[in-house]
Amino acid sequence: MGYIDLDIHLTPEQESIKRETHKFAKEVLRPASLELDKMDPESVIKSDLFWNTMKKGYKLGYHTIFIPDDWGGLGLDPLESHIVLEELAWGSVDFAIGLGVSCFPSFFASMMPNEKLIEEIIEPFCANTDASLIGCWGITEPDHGTDTLAAGTPEFCDPSITGQVKAVRDGDEWVISGQKSAWVSNGTIATHSLLYLNIDPGMGMAGGGIAIVPLNIPGVRKGAPLDKMGQRALNQGEIFFDNARIPAEYMLVDQEAYEGILDLTLATANASMGAMFTGVARAAYEMALDYSRERIQGGKPLFEHQLIKHKLFSMFTKVEACRSLSRAALVYNLCNSPPLIQYSIASKVFCTQAALEVTNDAVQILGGIGLTKEYPAEKFFRDARAGLLEDGANDSLMLTGAHSL
Amino acid sequence: MAVFESTEKMYEILGSLFNKLMEDQVALEKFLAANIIVLFDITEPKGQLWLSPEDGVVCGPLDRTPTVTMTLSGDSCHKFWTKELSMPVAMATRKIKSKGPISKVLKLLPMLKPAYEAYPAIAKEYGLL
Repeated sequence: MGYIDLDIHLTPEQESIKRETHKFAKEVLRPASLELDKMDPESVIKSDLFWNTMKKGYKLGYHTIFIPDDWGGLGLDPLESHIVLEELAWGSVDFAIGLGVSCFPSFFASMMPNEKLIEEIIEPFCANTDASLIGCWGITEPDHGTDTLAAGTPEFCDPSITGQVKAVRDGDEWVISGQKSAWVSNGTIATHSLLYLNIDPGMGMAGGGIAIVPLNIPGVRKGAPLDKMGQRALNQGEIFFDNARIPAEYMLVDQEAYEGILDLTLATANASMGAMFTGVARAAYEMALDYSRERIQGGKPLFEHQLIKHKLFSMFTKVEACRSLSRAALVYNLCNSPPLIQYSIASKVFCTQAALEVTNDAVQILGGIGLTKEYPAEKFFRDARAGLLEDGANDSLMLTGAHSL
Repeated sequence: MAVFESTEKMYEILGSLFNKLMEDQVALEKFLAANIIVLFDITEPKGQLWLSPEDGVVCGPLDRTPTVTMTLSGDSCHKFWTKELSMPVAMATRKIKSKGPISKVLKLLPMLKPAYEAYPAIAKEYGLL
């Protein structure tokens, strides 16, 4: 169905990117994620369907959205990144997040490239087409969730509160120990982590570092994939480190720059979530609109009932508001360093909340059948619910965002 | 005291650095292929340095719209080229502010490699090291 783009300056190339990504989302991602939604998480990552879908995404370069074309990435401009993220998530927010977060190690390496990182991390990842190299963002811990993202707040510098994964310098290496929690997206299938860890406990959570950690080295172990209510095709799981050693060149950021780069990370991640949950809300709205025109109730199509019409217009308004805010936030923050973190958080909070409301309305419009798996409304609703918690719980993120007002 | 004693001196030193960069065939080819206009908007001393595919290296105002603007002080600039200030620290501590699509900013980084190599000798020549 698509939507009318209010940006009258879209180029033919951007229109084409939108069309092609939508086609992929509709023909590949949506059907795969609906099928995988019925499986347990172990079966998902053992299935050919999951891996074939990932491979198709990799072949089209969707794992390299943020990486410049010099390295072999898609080299999309900020607006194009938004268009792609919305379309991918329209098809499946599970796969959109999985493909999007996969680039984190290489994306950050491309911000601070050295010969070793270029040769061992960035170029192989960009050239990868069989999803045999997968990245993850290892930040969340069993005792630390959204508080890991609260750079700049007084609690962040409290030395009595420190991260659980710690790294100690030993000659030309860093030695890493500790645990990341089950909420790490791509956690149990990732080959590399962009790992946020503590290197100076005296500085509290602010004494962090950011490292690229290959997950096939001695001392790394993974947990079981998480069984959750929504986004079931998105693999998530724990990662354990027991004296795992990485070369010093793989530590990208130390405590001096940690808070600033964490802000940049959150600005990118939350703005991307805004874009993706615009796609989730739109998917539910479009499906409900189609259904309301076909389904006869009380002698006329649902759409002809005033209350349904009113609800659909409210859903339409929310989707358009999501796109306006999330595009503006993503484009601004991918064009400015330092970013304005409050806008990325506003985008994430607003769009995930709106997606929950719109998907809930879609279930309501479909009536009883909306609760069944005959239509994807109930999956959209479950997927949207997870959005209020992942990449930071909305309530806590708002406190972090408010700190910048 | 600022590393660059005047805008003119800064133009002389950094202009020489960027001209050396543009003499490097690999860097030049990458720059032309990227097709971006870069403005280094420098404070203390105040000045502008441009890299443009059409105009080459320009010290001072230029009537162009930059694709990427890097705003930083003269001292940060010196420390950046001597590797005393890394890009992540500079960005995180707001000593360098960038404006322009991140994909273009990231394209810029590998192009600058020959300048890193050339700067210590230039800085020494001018008594800055």
